Amino acid sequence: MTGALRRASMPAVALVLVAGVIGTQLANGGGTFEPLRTADPCVARDVTSQSDGIEGLTERLVLLGIDGAACRLDVSREALTLDLGQGGDPTDAQVDALREGLKAAVARMEDDGTLPPSSELVDEALDSADLNGFLEAAIRALPDSIVDGALKTDDVLVRAIDDLDLRELLANLDSQDALNDQLQPAIVDAVKDSLADRLRDLV
Amino acid sequence: MRRAVALLLAVTVALVLADSAIVTLALPDILAELDATVGQVAWVLISFNLVLGLGVVPTARALSRAQPRLYGAVGIAVFAGASAWCAVADSIEVLIIARCVQAIGGALALVGCLELMVAESGERRGVAAWVTAGVVGTAAGPFAGGLLTQAISWQAIFVVQVPFAVLAVPAALAVRAAPTHTPDRHRPAFRPNLTLALLSAALTAALFLLVLLLVEGWRHSPATAAVTVSVVPVAALLARPLARLTRPSPEVEVAVGSFLIAGGLVGLAIPPSAHLAWTIAPQALVGLGLGLTVDRLTAQAMEMRLPRARHAAWTIGARHVGVVVGLAILTPVFTTDLQDAQVPAQEAIVALVIDAPLPAQDKIELARALGDELEGEEGQVPDLSGAFASLDVAPEDRPAKAALERALDVQLESAATFAFRDSFLIGAGLALAALLAAAVPRRRRTS
Repeated sequence: MTGALRRASMPAVALVLVAGVIGTQLANGGGTFEPLRTADPCVARDVTSQSDGIEGLTERLVLLGIDGAACRLDVSREALTLDLGQGGDPTDAQVDALREGLKAAVARMEDDGTLPPSSELVDEALDSADLNGFLEAAIRALPDSIVDGALKTDDVLVRAIDDLDLRELLANLDSQDALNDQLQPAIVDAVKDSLADRLRDLV
Repeated sequence: MRRAVALLLAVTVALVLADSAIVTLALPDILAELDATVGQVAWVLISFNLVLGLGVVPTARALSRAQPRLYGAVGIAVFAGASAWCAVADSIEVLIIARCVQAIGGALALVGCLELMVAESGERRGVAAWVTAGVVGTAAGPFAGGLLTQAISWQAIFVVQVPFAVLAVPAALAVRAAPTHTPDRHRPAFRPNLTLALLSAALTAALFLLVLLLVEGWRHSPATAAVTVSVVPVAALLARPLARLTRPSPEVEVAVGSFLIAGGLVGLAIPPSAHLAWTIAPQALVGLGLGLTVDRLTAQAMEMRLPRARHAAWTIGARHVGVVVGLAILTPVFTTDLQDAQVPAQEAIVALVIDAPLPAQDKIELARALGDELEGEEGQVPDLSGAFASLDVAPEDRPAKAALERALDVQLESAATFAFRDSFLIGAGLALAALLAAAVPRRRRTS
């Protein structure tokens, strides 16, 4: 090995080693090993639920509703969820944004056809409703077309959202029973109001 | 007998220099056991390096006419006594004071051991053994400290030093070495000492921050972290035989070594995942760089300069002040980055839980349990396994639950890794500054 070659060999080997190590790290995703970045809540996204029926519908509505609320408040849905989940008193702006977000979610699901017809939800609602047996049997006997004609899912949901005390709802997130106690009357009232309006229109 | 004496003196040098970084892996245990703050625990490291860095040159100056075997033996005894004191310290304040005393003893011991090793083995071999012992001690400190902390306790780190030091006292007294009485002929070697200081500051990132990342960020045990960082001392030991193959000039060796340390630190800044394997090659680069630079620079700073002990002391001072500067620069950066990483990590966890393919009720329960875990470990990387253990899901949802737990752990690991990135890159910058300091051509003196 000549003197010049020997002098250059160590720096050259070092260069190859460093380039090899850094290149291998980068080629395998080095430099991008970072926490997930929050998505833009104003960009529409598909939401799914593992649950069926009313629980699944509620979950999808809440997920889309939080997106809409976060978009209105100009924060990420994760930041809004953390803020609302910390148990403090939500601000008026947060409550208003959440209500508008939920209503927008109903509209979006109605537009893209993912909102189930009311007849699909009635059986499940009857299971948990405290009605006398005769009335329950009579409602169950109604054909789906009559139920769907009498009750529009989006109309019932929007009415329920308008009636709900969202502050209390957020405070009750920890208790399924308390949530049910609050949601059931709101939905029943919404159904009643919707039916009354339909009758009024017919008369 | 002479071999045993030389070995004990070399071990003492290695112990004193290992003490610079040996407690790194024990810091979480010390923090918990002595009920200290993070800022106080940092002083367990800083105090030793600061006192040794600032005290060693005045010590060498003051002892130029004293008997090396006497002050060497006294230094080793003080070091041993202070090590025992560290082991029984019942408060963080006492531990910090004991570390300062340990550093004073260490300064006396280092200067004394150099003179004694030269008297015992001759100028060339004695200095070479003193320098090599220092490099081995520096590189192996975190490894030894981690193993002892895991196997026994943080106190064991200090206890095991006592018998070695106690044996070294009679060894020091047995060496006949006269005071050198050498006048102060040469100024300190500015360039090698500056390069040493910059490299020591850079190596702080590899020797201190990497173990913190492994233990606190990636949640490995101190023993696993210790075995992982053993790559650095092994590579450091291999550096010299490898360098002999190409026989470069000392300047080239130092420049290449600095470049390897910078490259290794960049590699540590950008691991593709939290798998330990991704730290091996970058650590090997750092270890090779350490092995090529520290002993070479120390030798350059002492070469043909008298008095020998004083110029050796300058190298020790430069290295330990470099460590303190490194800690002073890097600690606020990574602690701030770690704080800043909390919100993105929490948001990433929320995103994954919200989108998890689990029933809504399970997600709400899990979110509540995770909230408790995050609240309970404020300021530290949390362990989420408790939250998942408390969640009972249907058999068909168990794979989704396991996948979510793994995904959340990855988020925490990536957040911690990201929080250390800037500090490793700053360390790489310091190594490149050392490369510049070593490589810039000297100005020719005009007559």
